[in-house]
Formats: sequence, structure tokens, C-alpha cells
Amino acid sequence: MEANFEEALRKCPADYAEIRWEAVERSRVAFQRDQLLTLERSREAGGVVRALVDGAWGLAVFTAPDQIGEKLKEAAGLARAAARRVRDPIRLAEVPPVQDKFLPALENDFREIPLEEKRKLVEGYNKLILNHSPKIVSSSVRYTDSIRHVYYANTEGTYLEQRIPDVTVLLLAVAREDGDVQQAFETVGEAAGYELALGLEEKAEAVARRAVELLSAKPVQGGKYTVVLDQELAGVFIHEAFGHICEADFLLKNEPMRKVMQLGKRFGVEALNVVEDGFIPGRRGNAPYDDEGVPRRKIHLIKEGVLAGLMHSRATAAKTGMAPTGNARAVSWEHEPIVRMRNTYIEPGEASFEELLKGIDYGIYAKGAFGGQTEFEQFTFSAQYAYEIKGGELGEMLRDVVLTGNVFDTLRNIEQLGSDFQLKGGAGGCGKGGQSPLPVTDGAPHVRIRDVIIGGR
Amino acid sequence: MGILERAATVAQSAELYQELREGVEVSFRGGEIEKVGAREVLGRALRVIVDGKLGFASTAGEEEESLVAAALASAEYGDPAPFSFPELKGDGAAAVLDEETLKVPPEELISWGEEAVRAVKEEFPDVIVDAHLWRGKVTVRLANTSGGELVEARSSLSMGLEAQWVREGDIYLVWVSRTVRRRGDLKPETLVAECLRYLRWGERVVPTPQGRPPVLFVPKGTLVLLLPLMLGFSGMSVVMGTSPLKDRLGERAFDPRFTLVDDGRLPYAPGTRSFDDEGVPTGRLPLAEEGVVKNFFYDLRAAALAGTGSTGSGLRGGLLRGTGFRSPPSPSLRNTVIQPGAGTLEELIAGMKEGLIVVDLLGLGQGNIQSGAFSNNVSTGFAVKDGRVIGRVKNTMIAGNVYEVLKDGLKEIGGEPEWVWGLAQVPPLLVEGVSVVAR
Repeated sequence: MEANFEEALRKCPADYAEIRWEAVERSRVAFQRDQLLTLERSREAGGVVRALVDGAWGLAVFTAPDQIGEKLKEAAGLARAAARRVRDPIRLAEVPPVQDKFLPALENDFREIPLEEKRKLVEGYNKLILNHSPKIVSSSVRYTDSIRHVYYANTEGTYLEQRIPDVTVLLLAVAREDGDVQQAFETVGEAAGYELALGLEEKAEAVARRAVELLSAKPVQGGKYTVVLDQELAGVFIHEAFGHICEADFLLKNEPMRKVMQLGKRFGVEALNVVEDGFIPGRRGNAPYDDEGVPRRKIHLIKEGVLAGLMHSRATAAKTGMAPTGNARAVSWEHEPIVRMRNTYIEPGEASFEELLKGIDYGIYAKGAFGGQTEFEQFTFSAQYAYEIKGGELGEMLRDVVLTGNVFDTLRNIEQLGSDFQLKGGAGGCGKGGQSPLPVTDGAPHVRIRDVIIGGR
Repeated sequence: MGILERAATVAQSAELYQELREGVEVSFRGGEIEKVGAREVLGRALRVIVDGKLGFASTAGEEEESLVAAALASAEYGDPAPFSFPELKGDGAAAVLDEETLKVPPEELISWGEEAVRAVKEEFPDVIVDAHLWRGKVTVRLANTSGGELVEARSSLSMGLEAQWVREGDIYLVWVSRTVRRRGDLKPETLVAECLRYLRWGERVVPTPQGRPPVLFVPKGTLVLLLPLMLGFSGMSVVMGTSPLKDRLGERAFDPRFTLVDDGRLPYAPGTRSFDDEGVPTGRLPLAEEGVVKNFFYDLRAAALAGTGSTGSGLRGGLLRGTGFRSPPSPSLRNTVIQPGAGTLEELIAGMKEGLIVVDLLGLGQGNIQSGAFSNNVSTGFAVKDGRVIGRVKNTMIAGNVYEVLKDGLKEIGGEPEWVWGLAQVPPLLVEGVSVVAR
């Protein structure tokens, strides 16, 4: 592989060029109620080449391995067509060339587990959910595993091979009563072996129980509340609301936004620290080297409430005069790397859960993430379920809780951070620029925030 | 020996789906060309039935050998196939391929982008404009052991503009996009006009009308209402018992003016195709007519479970057509069409005393949309007073239930439908009964 790449790169008429070829092994098992929708163990392979000519990118995505040379030339030609119109050429920050192999062994390699066994495992969880109550009308249980073998080379002499595992399980229950339909789910996902998928019986029963409970939960009353977010939701909050605006690609040719995101600017309370880390053993957000061949770095996005860093690709680093951080990631061989998060988390504070609830006359304890989305300063994320907080104590269960706000206000409105930190991978992933789902990890302690808007009827 | 023949040496029946995606994309960032990319991706999926049991495998690249072995291995532990592969018969071609589209060179896409940037910046010099353009073709080839082979090449052309307006204490983002199959149907100047209209409307931030004001969804904003319906009318949701429309065929579930059709044959529409991804011919399928639930949409599996026939709605890639060949077929909509009423958007606005216009929402699809419930942040929305748009709203949430809103809350259906999201042709909808909360 290495020799082929070298040869093709040498012949590429570009200022800079790179090749990424990926061979993927994956399996999936998915049940919906009694239907086995997917049972698959497959392989695929494909590649993307990128060429930089006079400050513009050209790229080509392809599936025929013998076309690497041709595709590099095509990419260079496309870059040249674009370069004629460029006024502000893209430059790449310097990084030392590196030759390395990152091929970790798995504790319990899922490739060795027969498909039949995976099927039985998923079917078992599925039955636990379906048999929980007559009110459970449907379910969705999905297992996925994959290993991306990534081969990367560029014209600067970098050559890398990486093996990136990912395992996820989704457990979802749907309950129905009269016309009302409610659902609950739990997910796990890590850069792990088969062991991650085992022993989830309690989680399966918990989602079934919760789906049924939600049938009699009260819909939340829309309004402005003091909320306590559980670790999962607080993790999604920091990812959605703040993480995305720290991705420096959207500052690249955007002078006004660069002013908003000035390093050293105060964004939150003194106690707030937000970290972006390229490698935490076993986590699915890991990118030992990113898809531009840049080694990982751990950075603080917020340190003691102040903006301390941004996530960079080589291009955004060059533009802003910063060092690349290893955040240029591609979701697959079908895409080029763009600036993405890896493992992103709020560092824990000191408050116990009881202390977080204390003093709240009427508020909301929101748990579990349905998902979230951000558009610069505006963000939204949905809780799976919630509880009233009345006089500092938990009350009745609530549903349909969707939180929204302005990220800058909301960060300033963080009142307290819990001590009970938790990282979570999940079974979905992050979406950006048509690339989804990218494995990421979010983390946080319980977080208390005032003046959060909650939609509702 | 081909893949299908090799599979058939072991399997009683088999189906091979192949898609070749080719095209060119052009991206602008900060008003300037950043990237031109080409794509040539061959994906394949094989389904087999061995001793009555269904197996599936998919691949990209040169993995033919392992594709057959993988599908057979899957069948070994699979469940009984509830359906069999249909005989593949073309019943006349739908209009899906425009040669003019395929001829658009990257340079022309670049010019369209540059012109759009120029036009927006002429009126709003401080606005940062990103643009994405795509021209491509997907060639689908389907063959199975029941006989026959279907091939169809479909063209597509799309353009999207994103305008960011950053001012002290305020970031405003407008995005507009269009996906078509025929070059003549993409009018960059219309997109620019739409973008400019929202920028003009949004210059000033005003208080949100709160409580339960009339809410006008422009065509793009109706996706929040369509998503729950896409699930609700899905034959799979009906079979699974999760659709609120289950057991309600023939019942008046919506306002009598509400007619919803899934049309797979509209000439050159973005979701049009002669056959679905299982080889079943497409057609025009009324889902709701004058408020009455008429049909659900089925793929082979859901149809077999429901004891009915496929409606030619088995698509790979899910409801929003995401992952293509990697997903087994599932019931999906082709072109979702809401029958228009009367009146221009301006007339609808002129008739509102006080209300909210919804253009874009955050968090679509996140939440319990199965039940019809929605609760979303209005990322682009405007306040109306005395028949005039007075400015943009911020920090605003809307919430409601689609099944209630479209039954008892529908005030007016506009007369000017637009293609949105490459999925649906919908007019503006003026409704009441939506809760609006803001800070």
C-alpha cells in the first residue's frame, strides 16, 4: 500500500496531495418488534484523494483501488479550475511528517463472534423489552460493530495506518395507550470489543419501564425555568451549544465571527472548564491521528470561564496562526476531513446532586438526550424525560421537554457544577456538513442552569 | 459468473441492487470558492433467500466474492422471509434523466455560486455567504432471480446558499436550497431572491408574539409537520402498531381541505423513479384525500406483514434517503405533495393581524415525533403585525401536535407550492393551536 501511494503522490501535479483508503469490516443486527430487519456482516472499501493547487482544494471519492493515480490527477485538475477564482488562498499549517501504525488489539474482538451469537444477544434484549408489559407495542434493538482500517499518505512524507473500532447498542421501547404513543431508549457506544454489548439486561428493562411510565407523565408547561441537566444531557449541551462554534472552519473566511470567538474572552463562570481530547482509552471519539495525519492534542476550549482554544484543521490553524489540534476528521472514505469534535466534556465541579436541587422552588430535572442541534448562538436539545423539582426535591415525571437558548447567555447562566462526572459515547453520532454519524464522546457532571427556555403546550 | 448467478447456486432466490453515484460538487466559503470535488461510488447490496430464510449484505468497492459469502452467511441465521422478490417488469419510464443537467461543467457551477454571492453581497455587504452546488447522476441497476432486470439513470442538480449576518450581540443565519432533476428547473435567481427576502425581513429583531398566535409555515417550515406524517403513514409503523393512524383508514383524521399524495411519477421531481429499490413500479398514492385517511405506503416486507401489496415505496436509505445501498429497503416516501389552496404568501401574511412566520427550525425529528408531537426552536422566524412582517424573532420555541393542528387548527392553505428538502412539494400553511414560548 505504502509504495503504491508514494508512487501515485509523486506523480500528482499539485502543491500538496493526500490519499486516504479505508477498508471497513462491520456487522449489524436490528430488530423492530418481532422483525429481524438487518442481520449483516459485510466489508467495504473506498477512498478519497485531495489535492491543493494555488490555494484551492480538489477532491475525488472513488471505489476502484486501481484508480488512485487517475483520481489524484482528476482532483488536481478540479483544484486548478477552482484556483483561478481564489483571492484568499488556503494554506496549510506545518506539521512534521510522521510514519506510524496505530493498530490496537481488542479485548474481545467482535470479528471473532459468530453472527448467530450477536443475533441471540440482540433478540434477548428485544424480548425483555417486548415482554415487559402489554402496553409495550413495539421495540427497536440494534447492535453495530465496525473496524475502519485507514491507510493515509500525503506528499509531505506522512504515512499512517490506523485501526479504529466502534461498537454500539441501541435499546428502544415504544409504549401505547389509547391514542398516545411514547418511547424511551438507552444507548451505549465505545471504541471497544464485544464486551461492551454484553450485560445490558437491566438497561433493556429500564427503557421498557420508562416508556410505560411516560404514558402517564405530564407534558411540560412551556416557560423559563431553572434546570438541572443530567450528565448525558449536559454533555450533549456542551457538544451542541458550545463545541460546534469552537470548530474553527466556520471562522476561516468569516471576520465578524472571528471577533466573536476571540481567545481570552469570558464566556462563562469561573468554575467552568471545557476540554476537547483526542484520546481517552476506549472512547469512541478517539482520533489518535486525524484524517490529515495530525497527531492528537488535548486542548481546553474554556479554561476558568475564558475561551482558551479552538479546534483546528491544518487550514484553519494556518489562517489563525495557531497550531493544528488533530480535529480534522472524516466520517468515512466518502468524505474529506472537516473540523470535528472528538471527546468533549465539561470538567466536574464540587456540588452533590442534593446541593444542585437545593433552593429551586420550581424547576426541572432533565434526563437523557434525544438529540440536539445548534445554529451558532442558538441551540436546542431534547430530553428523553424529566422530573419536576419542587422546593428542592424531585417531583412528578414530565415529558416533551425541549430546551433552547442562546449559548452565550446560557453559559453565563450556569450556576453550579456537580462532582459526578460521566463520559458517554452513545449509538448515534454527530452530524455536520452532510457527514453523519461521526462517533464522538460527550461528558459532563450534573449541571444547574437558570433561565432556560423550555417549549411546551 | 455474475454475483446473482453465484448466489443462486446456493440460494433459492436472490436480488442484486447496484447504485453508481457520480457527480461534481462545488463549495464556497466566505463568498469564495474553496473546493471542487468529484465522486464515483459503486455500491451493491445482495439479498438472498435460502431455505426460506432471508439474508442481506452490502458492499462498496471490489468485494464481489465476499458479498455473496456474506449474504449467504446472513441467511443462515436469518428469519423466514415474509415476501418473495417480484418479477421485474418495467411499466414505462418516468422522466428522471435530463441530459442538459449532466452537461453542466464545474466551471458553470462555480459561476452560479459566484453570481449568487455577488447578488447577496450587493445588497448586504456585511453578510458572509457560503454556497454548495451539486450536479450528479445515480444509476440504479436491479436484478433478481424471479426474472428481469431494471436499469434507470437519474440526474440531480442542487444549489444551497447560506448567509450569515453577524452583528453586535446577534448572529443571524439564513439558508435556502433547491434540488431538481432538470437543469431548467433550477433558478439560482429565485434562490437569491428568497435569501434576500429573509435577510430583509430579519434586519430588525422584535418581540415574539406569544401564547397561541396564528402560525404561518412557509413551505420550508412545513417539514416539522411532515416528519411525523412520514412516520404515521408508513406501513411499517402501522404494522408495528406505533402509528396514530393505525385502524383509521377511511376516517376523517384531518381538515377536509387537507389532501396529501405520495407521487413517484411526477415528471423530473426529485424523488421520482420508475421503480422502487425492490423493483416494484411506482405510482401515485393518495395518503389523505379531503382529510380522509386513504392509504399507507408499503415496501415488500411491510406489505406482506399487513397482507397487502407493496406500493412501490421500498427505498434504501430510510425516510430521508441517507445511507443508500447500505440499508435494506424500508417504506419511504417518493415525492410528498400537499394539495395547494389559494392565495399568495403575501396575501396570507396580509390577512394575519398578529402572528408568527416559521421558516426554519432546530431539532427536527428529535423528540417523540411518532405521536405527532413537536417542540422546536424557531431558528428563522418572523413576527407579523397588522398584515406586515415587522421583524425577526429570537429565542422562540413552538410546540404542538401535528394530528391536532392539521385537524382542527388549519386556517388556510396557500396557493403557491414549492419544492423543499428535495422531498416534498408543499404550499404555505397557516394554522392555529400551536403554542409559542419565548424569553
